[in-house]
Amino acid sequence: MKDSLKLLTRFSAHPDSRCWFVAWNPNGTLLASCGGDRAVRVWGREGDSWVCKSVLSEGHQRTVRKVAWSPCGNYLASASFDATTCIWKKQQDTFECVTTLEGHENEVKCVSWAPSGNLLATCSRDKSVWVWEVDEEDEYECVSVVNSHTQDVKHVIWHPNQELLASCSYDNTVKIYKEDDDDWICLDTLEGHESTVWSVDFDKSGQRLASCSDDKTVKIWREYLPGNEQGVVCKGSDPCWKSICTLSGFHTRTIYDISWCHLTNVIATACGDDAIRVFEEDAASDPHQPIFRLMAHVPKAHSQDVNCAAWNPKEGGLLASCSDDGEIGIWLYEPQN
Amino acid sequence: MASHFSGVLQLTDLDDFITPSQECVKPVKIEKKPGRSVAKIRIEDDGTYIQVNSPGDVQKLEKAKITLNDCLACSGCITSAESVLITQQSHEELLRVLNENKTGLHQKVIVVSVSPQSRASLAAKFHLSVTDTAKKLSAFFKSLGVHHVFDTTFARNFSLLECQQEFVERFQRQAEDSKAFPMLASSCPGWICYAEKTHGDFILPYISTTRSPQQVMGSLVKDYFAKQQNLRPEQIYHITIMPCYDKKLEASRPDFYLSESQTREVDCVITSGEVLQLLEQEGVSLAEVDPVPLDALYVSSCGSMDGDKIFSHAGGGSGGYLEHVYVYAAKELFGVEVKDIVYKVLKNKDFQEVTLEKEGETLLRFAIAYGFRNIQNLVQKLKRGKSPYHFVEVMACPSGCLNGGGQIRANTGETSKELLQRVEELYNSVQTEIPKKNTAVAELYRTWLESIGPQEARRLLYTQYHAVEKSTSNLAIKW
Repeated sequence: MKDSLKLLTRFSAHPDSRCWFVAWNPNGTLLASCGGDRAVRVWGREGDSWVCKSVLSEGHQRTVRKVAWSPCGNYLASASFDATTCIWKKQQDTFECVTTLEGHENEVKCVSWAPSGNLLATCSRDKSVWVWEVDEEDEYECVSVVNSHTQDVKHVIWHPNQELLASCSYDNTVKIYKEDDDDWICLDTLEGHESTVWSVDFDKSGQRLASCSDDKTVKIWREYLPGNEQGVVCKGSDPCWKSICTLSGFHTRTIYDISWCHLTNVIATACGDDAIRVFEEDAASDPHQPIFRLMAHVPKAHSQDVNCAAWNPKEGGLLASCSDDGEIGIWLYEPQN
Repeated sequence: MASHFSGVLQLTDLDDFITPSQECVKPVKIEKKPGRSVAKIRIEDDGTYIQVNSPGDVQKLEKAKITLNDCLACSGCITSAESVLITQQSHEELLRVLNENKTGLHQKVIVVSVSPQSRASLAAKFHLSVTDTAKKLSAFFKSLGVHHVFDTTFARNFSLLECQQEFVERFQRQAEDSKAFPMLASSCPGWICYAEKTHGDFILPYISTTRSPQQVMGSLVKDYFAKQQNLRPEQIYHITIMPCYDKKLEASRPDFYLSESQTREVDCVITSGEVLQLLEQEGVSLAEVDPVPLDALYVSSCGSMDGDKIFSHAGGGSGGYLEHVYVYAAKELFGVEVKDIVYKVLKNKDFQEVTLEKEGETLLRFAIAYGFRNIQNLVQKLKRGKSPYHFVEVMACPSGCLNGGGQIRANTGETSKELLQRVEELYNSVQTEIPKKNTAVAELYRTWLESIGPQEARRLLYTQYHAVEKSTSNLAIKW
């Protein structure tokens, strides 16, 4: 089983520091990483090895926790513990910081671009989720500040094809937001995890969501529309989300990140037990009670906590991971029948 | 929602779960007395802390207490812990004071000042007219033992007049003062608290120094009214009824504490929702209370407080600052008589603009910015030097004060939007007056404010702001 996830290469990305997060650009050719050294690095493949194309070191005063590419691939956003989010514009191999988004009271934990590229979401230890609007002149305006979580918000991510937003928090919940009138509101709160929810990711269709938690479980949630055949009760005309599967017993520590591949439908997790795991859905199982099987488990994927796992958006099975050890690993998943 | 404070304050690190024993930095402060040697602290079985000094004498240590005042002075959280609010600012506290009066423990003259936003909220709740609500509310408070019931609209006349004055002064010094404009409205305590804690010295010079209606009412009651009644300020217990929890913080500011008489200008702030609780606790339905005539703060034959008629101001439920300053400035500075005010909705309904144009030139550009997101964009525009405004009516709550966190919540069968609409209609049903034409107000300017001298008059009508230094603690770091 172990052999199905093969290490292609491993390199030091943020030496003497932690590497917090990695993000592929939309066409899968570049990988951005960020870390405790306050820098963002952009990596490109040259033959079998990965080389650093740019270092973005001037933007932040403290740890850079997350990075995100715009859907067009021309902008990179970085979220930092210095309470700001920088927007970097790509010009060939160099990046220029065009805007710094201020407003969060303290550490910004995550940033995410909507599929349209016109909206950006950020979240923070200040418990709020912000939605920003971008105009043609790279001017950003805050369109909403949602104070729905009661604790530190760890992660935000947009629905792959609708203007819906998901966030997860230290308050053990996942929340889904939509635009209402001229503001954003929380339309559903997903309760079930027993500890911090560290990350969430949508599947390709956006009808399902995977969450990972400090409670050592992964949950799969499914969207149900009002009047659904399954009899799942929704409030008013909004859809609601229900947990349809819990993966427990696989992870021995906090699961920090989860990535749902939009090409192959497999799920990868990054865990505090230094391991990377890959799960596959049993195609024959009931879609309202699906079964996910552990297909790969690399126990010592890194020498310390694995912070992030990210599937390449164009090359099925290509996975990037990063860790507290400062390194990035590039893996290839090949299912074995 | 766990917290009642405005969203702005909640973002300013409001932590509902903090008690003085947790992350709050206040209990860490130790009063050091010189000459003391090292002491040990022993914890007794019942959980009390006993200090044992070196010669062996023991002393029970007091629990650390935090007040709203401590919260305001600290850059850490603002607690909404019930324990802190109830000890100083709640209807329980009002009942305690009323009870002391009855038992003869202390004798105080008890004054209640009702805000027009709270009155509209209660009117909507009980399906009454605003005037009936005013008279029934007066009757209810008097039945509890309150001596006088006033209307903060009267105080708002002063706030509006002074705001107009301040704007014109800023206009005249704009050449030498880069922070003269935009002038930012000052009556929202959530906004003030956020500005002091988050943007400090950068933003404070822009904020109008005119007191809010609540705090002008504080001056009127504890200075003017006290003198009228031959009372010392501390002999009056002054309660305001407000649409907003943040007003409790405003009343607690040291700027509004009269240290000589050791009393606050507003002793206690109760929200509209807490008045409802009080009514329920007393088993009273406001609709069934027999009305009484209204008190006049200032007896005047043609004034606004003539006992039976209540007045309001034009320009919306947040006080009408934009409209009053706009109309006055247009006339005073450009000789333009404004007839209609046309609002242009910008990003959203809580961000609107009004411009005065003459021969293609924009003379004045005013805006309202309600709710945190619009405050945020305004502040960022200011920081980038891109604010085109002369005046902005800033309010922390979306939709402004009628939608304040202390207002009565919608019941089943009515959405909060529908309720807000009814509250707005009720608020707007009251006949408006022009502050300058209120003879009672003019009379007070001529007598009371004239008699105390310009310096004292300024103190009673204006205030100041204090940037709060940020203290960063790495103890609280969470990845």
